[in-house]
Amino acid sequence: MIYLDSAATTLQKPPQVAQAVARAVNMLASPGRGGHRPSVLAGEMAYRCREAAAQLFHLDDPQQVVFTLNATHALNIAIHSLVKPGDKVVVSAWEHNAVTRTLQSIADVEVVVAKAPLFNQNATLTAFSEEITSDVKAVIFTHISNVFGFILPVDQIAALCRSRNIPFIIDASQSAGCQPIDFRRLGADFIAMPGHKGLFGPQGTGLLLCGQNPEPLITGGTGSESRLQSMPEFLPDRVEAGTHNMAGIAGLLEGIRYVQQIGIEKIGHHERALMEYLTAEMVLLPSVEVFSSSGSSCQSGVLSLRVEGLDCETLGERLAEQGVCTRAGLHCAPLAHQTAGTLASGTLRISVSPFNSQREMERFIDIFSQCIG
Amino acid sequence: MVFYYLNCRSLTYAQRTANLLERGGVTASVRRTPKSIAGVGCGYSVKIASRHLAPAIALLDKSNLLPKNIYLDQGNGEYREVFL
Repeated sequence: MIYLDSAATTLQKPPQVAQAVARAVNMLASPGRGGHRPSVLAGEMAYRCREAAAQLFHLDDPQQVVFTLNATHALNIAIHSLVKPGDKVVVSAWEHNAVTRTLQSIADVEVVVAKAPLFNQNATLTAFSEEITSDVKAVIFTHISNVFGFILPVDQIAALCRSRNIPFIIDASQSAGCQPIDFRRLGADFIAMPGHKGLFGPQGTGLLLCGQNPEPLITGGTGSESRLQSMPEFLPDRVEAGTHNMAGIAGLLEGIRYVQQIGIEKIGHHERALMEYLTAEMVLLPSVEVFSSSGSSCQSGVLSLRVEGLDCETLGERLAEQGVCTRAGLHCAPLAHQTAGTLASGTLRISVSPFNSQREMERFIDIFSQCIG
Repeated sequence: MVFYYLNCRSLTYAQRTANLLERGGVTASVRRTPKSIAGVGCGYSVKIASRHLAPAIALLDKSNLLPKNIYLDQGNGEYREVFL
């Protein structure tokens, strides 16, 4: 099998992740729910994971690290904290349904899209500059497009938001673990990310990094201030009602440690190198339309393409039959496809991780050529 | 031996407090807050030896991480709040 769908979920993970999950299932109870050893061990595990994330993403205080089910859950908390009915919100042209559907669920929200061509960072920045007016209540932008791998100029967009005093949310679903993220320097109100992609945690894990106190999305027990019938005011308890996914958190900690051990720069470099090689080979194939940044540094380890006369779902199925795992369709991001002009066709997406090799890329090109032949 | 309980607002706060103290050379452990001093219920405290109280408070004050309140464990199941 050649697994090239890491933008959805990294299937290949460091072995210590599964080992930690198994240990947690057998040894850990719930943090904050008792003074007995399994509860204390769970509390220590959760704290170590918060600390590791705080270190990786440059937060001052581990209490700012909130555990969520996934990036969508984290984005929902962040969006519902900042956006109220009738508000005007600016988003990038590459947002996932996790952002756009959530905004649509809030009554009378005016969503303004900062439109700019694919792989054009300057035009993207100009579009945000034009759209972020004083009546905007929040700005939401992805760090990397999950469809095209386009790396947005997040430092500059963040600076723009800060200079205009507009709160902002960054969706780091595709960047956490492969692109440097400095929470302190960005000055974000919230950064949302999954645990199960570039951080190599199990599915069912995610993180919300908080620069301000969020509003609870769900309410319930927190193991603190239990006599009160309102949620605690303080983090992380305010938005962590209910029993924690301790097996997931234990696995996520090992995933984060792996990223720290290898290094984000090295991981990003490896993924980009594989993608540059793949792109250079794919553009030589007749009838293949490759969406690439043509040599610039604003594309991550994600590549979308189309084949003339062959729909992407059929192509994805043919590849799957040959043991190649890719993703076909809209990738839950119709806005991104609308912007790029691929809404009707969708694309085939190839995405890599540190566990992919050059040899796998070579083999993939051979199989791909057969599938379109 | 006489102990103090640094009563914290949450488990994570208590963990951060204990970590900071340990790094500063103060032996500290996270404990369930005894029911009689738990206030609004279900809390965690950091237990330290009495000789460590002054350096502990200095460390925590420096990091803006002071506890909600501080109790002296009187050793007979009773606790007395102390004010600094």
